Amino acid sequence: MQVKDTNKSRRSHIALALGCFLLQVMLSPNVGMGYGRINFALIYAGVYALAVGGRQAVITGFLSGLLYDALTVGPLGVMGCLLTVMSLALGLEERNRFSDGFVSALSAFGVGSFVVLVLYHVALSMLGDSSSLVDVLFMRVLPSFALTFVCFLPFAYYQVRKSMGLRGKHAGSKSAGLRENYYDIRNL
Amino acid sequence: MPTLPSMPSGHSRPSTSKLMRKETGGGSGLLAMVLVIVSLVLFTFNVGETNGGPLTAVSGVVQTIVAPLRLAGAGILAPFAGMSNVMRNLTADEKTLTELIEENERLQARNVELEEAEVTARQLQELLDLRSTYNLQSSAAHVIAGATDSWSATVTLDKGTSSGFVVGMPVTDSSGAVGQIIACSATTSTVRLLTDEASSVAAMIQSTRAQGMLEGTPDAAMRLSFIRTDQTVNVGDIVVTSGLGGVFPKGLPLGKVSVVDRSPGSTYYSITVEPFARIDNLEEVLVITSLTEEQQVTAEDIEQSDAADMEAASGEVEKVEESSKSNEVEEDTETTDADDEEGSSSKKDEEDEEIEGAYVSPYSARRKED
Repeated sequence: MQVKDTNKSRRSHIALALGCFLLQVMLSPNVGMGYGRINFALIYAGVYALAVGGRQAVITGFLSGLLYDALTVGPLGVMGCLLTVMSLALGLEERNRFSDGFVSALSAFGVGSFVVLVLYHVALSMLGDSSSLVDVLFMRVLPSFALTFVCFLPFAYYQVRKSMGLRGKHAGSKSAGLRENYYDIRNL
Repeated sequence: MPTLPSMPSGHSRPSTSKLMRKETGGGSGLLAMVLVIVSLVLFTFNVGETNGGPLTAVSGVVQTIVAPLRLAGAGILAPFAGMSNVMRNLTADEKTLTELIEENERLQARNVELEEAEVTARQLQELLDLRSTYNLQSSAAHVIAGATDSWSATVTLDKGTSSGFVVGMPVTDSSGAVGQIIACSATTSTVRLLTDEASSVAAMIQSTRAQGMLEGTPDAAMRLSFIRTDQTVNVGDIVVTSGLGGVFPKGLPLGKVSVVDRSPGSTYYSITVEPFARIDNLEEVLVITSLTEEQQVTAEDIEQSDAADMEAASGEVEKVEESSKSNEVEEDTETTDADDEEGSSSKKDEEDEEIEGAYVSPYSARRKED
């Protein structure tokens, strides 16, 4: 459920999408750990699903995944499929889950992103990109997950603060976020 | 600090599961299912495209569009490329550092060896090029020593008679002629360089074909003699072997004219030539073992050379005769005594000798070269 679907919020998401796209193209190929690379498409889909959810998140996840597939040498559709499912799962409640707190958002994203990365790399290994599952897990999945998760932290932090309305002198207080949740419930 | 508004009484908070059921209504799930199917269809088609196809083309277009951005990203992040090594370097133990130092020393020594080998290979390649260009029947040799005394400009080669070398064979490096073998042992040969004072090679100016003798000088330069002053010589002209000596093949580069001096009344130029060959730094050389027919001078060339020399000599004789006549006129007008006549005749004799001295053709001078 979106209570405040204002133009400001839309602009914010467009800026986020553009930023993630640029980071995926410019930063991701140059920053790695082992074979691991940061997946900013996953981050964007996760942020959108947790912040907005619903049908829009599903479409966003699908398009992000498809763009990711087009930017890599892997086959089209794998990440698109996985991010569609992840966006559906994370955005099932159709509310801003960042307002539940930082840890809650991180947990949800951590589980979702890990499953996505495992399935993605297993799928590619089955297509012949790698013959060893151990190699896939330790050399590709875990480094990619670690990097992606670390890069998700600032996005999550920003979204949590934003959702709790803590951008001014009340930063650090939970009351604003609680108030927002209360009004959301009243509008049901 | 703002306080939360109080919850209306009798209004219980609905549970999350209830909210979910109310909000999703299965719409998102259906959409997700459709998109998953689309993804799988795309995946299937993409995997099935063996030699390119529409989906591969789309991917290619996207890659092309983002290529400048990727390039820019690589450029921006280039300074930070080595940062991942910083931690590893900081935590390296003593053993690793020692091994790295040893390996570095070993690699440096190896690098010097390889650079040396590269230089040698390049020099040999240049020699092969020269051999190919001039179609030389030759054998390569390595310079193992320089001159053993301070008076001669010679080098010693690592091959001798056992390799088919004999005294008189010309020697070149990649830039041109460098000298001639003057002594041979079974395994070594001594080469007199062009700059040696005793060296002389039949040479000519490449552009004007003016022929002369290229001789060494005590100051390690070379002098081109017997080029008549009625011929054109300029600084920078190329000097090549004329082949008249029968030792060097015709047309081998020798050097470049660096100084042209014309004294008043002189029959010949005084020309200084700068050698092409790196005389002081010879390493690999070619010894020309035999000349092909086209490299040898022809009878026609010799005749032309002699004719030119005869012409020069006759011109010189006329000049001296005119000079003698004018001297005789002067002598008639003056009072002479026996001693004076003797002096005059001795002077004339000297002049005659000078004429004879002037008549040294390059061809006859090749006896010196031979």
